[in-house]
Amino acid sequence: MIILSLRRFFVACFLVSMLWVGGCSSPATTNSSPAPNANGAAVSSQAIAGSQFNKFFPTNGNGFERVYTQEKDGFAEAKLKKDGKDLAMLAISDTISTPAAAQKFQQSSKQVAGYPAVEVGSTQTAVLVANRFQVKVISRDPNFTAADREAWLQKFDLNGLARLK
Amino acid sequence: MSKHTRPINELVDELPASNMTTFSLKSLDFVIPGEWENLVGWDNTLRAVTMESDASLLQMVGDRAIALYSDKSQGYRNAMWLYQTIDSAGSALGTAALANKVGEKVPLLGFLSKLTPKADKAQAIDLSLKLVVEVVAFCQINGIPGDSIGDFVASLGDYGKEALMRMAALVCFDGLIPLGPDFLRSVGNTLGNLSPSELKQHQGFSQIDELIPGNNAEGKLNFIGQSFDSVKGWMSDFVQSHDLTPQKVSQSLQKFIDVSDDKLDYLAAFLDMSTNYYAHTGTQTLARRLIERALAEI
Repeated sequence: MIILSLRRFFVACFLVSMLWVGGCSSPATTNSSPAPNANGAAVSSQAIAGSQFNKFFPTNGNGFERVYTQEKDGFAEAKLKKDGKDLAMLAISDTISTPAAAQKFQQSSKQVAGYPAVEVGSTQTAVLVANRFQVKVISRDPNFTAADREAWLQKFDLNGLARLK
Repeated sequence: MSKHTRPINELVDELPASNMTTFSLKSLDFVIPGEWENLVGWDNTLRAVTMESDASLLQMVGDRAIALYSDKSQGYRNAMWLYQTIDSAGSALGTAALANKVGEKVPLLGFLSKLTPKADKAQAIDLSLKLVVEVVAFCQINGIPGDSIGDFVASLGDYGKEALMRMAALVCFDGLIPLGPDFLRSVGNTLGNLSPSELKQHQGFSQIDELIPGNNAEGKLNFIGQSFDSVKGWMSDFVQSHDLTPQKVSQSLQKFIDVSDDKLDYLAAFLDMSTNYYAHTGTQTLARRLIERALAEI
């Protein structure tokens, strides 16, 4: 009930924020100094906008709910929920900002949906698409297994993502 | 070095495990049971958010999260600045006077001479500014997730843990306690009668006005008013659905503050001057989102 009422709360907030055109996407005015240089930046200026990743995520359905949580330069993430419970995080990131993330796939002998795949830690399975885009499924519930992660990786539109440039 | 330019791991390491802020927030557990735990310390936060234990993996995630926070273009530091700045006016009693009071019941009577209850008008503006900070900080941290209004609203509606506690504290500590059960009407009246020049004289506004949308004080006042109008329905629902009253909140606070119900304006002033719940929970929110992003990116 709290969540539902908070949604109403933020429906209103969203309408308000729309009055402030561009306010959410622009750096705030306290950023008076220049943008970080190439050496200091954590995110490459060549990174693809996170908004371009959204359409490749799995869709809602069969009781599963996809709730987008972050959309930043070179990154988009959503929660996978069922019955109000967090099952997993779904993410696409542009490894142009994180070359080491792409390099780890070079030792991979495993494939998911035809793309090189790795398991990371005890909760993550990732594939590398077009040698650039990392797609990850991260378990947030112990019952969401490695097999579940692979199944959900295949629900992304990986081939569509591969064509993104 | 100003506080918001320091590395995120240091700010999380410095979050107090127990002080007036954490006691106050824990007193609201009866409103949203089990929703908030006071997660402090960078290593603890890394382990809790990632649900991983491998040291080298945690190191990689932590390094990436710290780098993301340090990159000014990513907006995280703006959000931290907002959370810290909106709270900074009220820390006069924060450390020195209360350093030896943690763990014992604070006798509010002993502080009355140091406390000046805010006029209702100033309190109403404070509450409105904190709401605006929450909306702006959300966008700085998360962007505008999803491709549709429905996606974005769903992402906003997914508030939980420390973020939900921050909203509960806003209703209770900045609404019910200082302004009473009719606080929404009081704030609405204040904003409706406020002039741009009066707004400019408000200390909290002058600290964050550059980040409030609007071309001038009049435009910013409009934005503040519209934000409040949009949110008052949620606040009203929150108060009603939890059957909240100033007395219920103060009774819960009385577990560690000795105060009578006829001194609620002083209790509000005491909370304002001795706690920084926006900065505290805002730091926790930033750490969580940064670590979640770093975990997915490494």
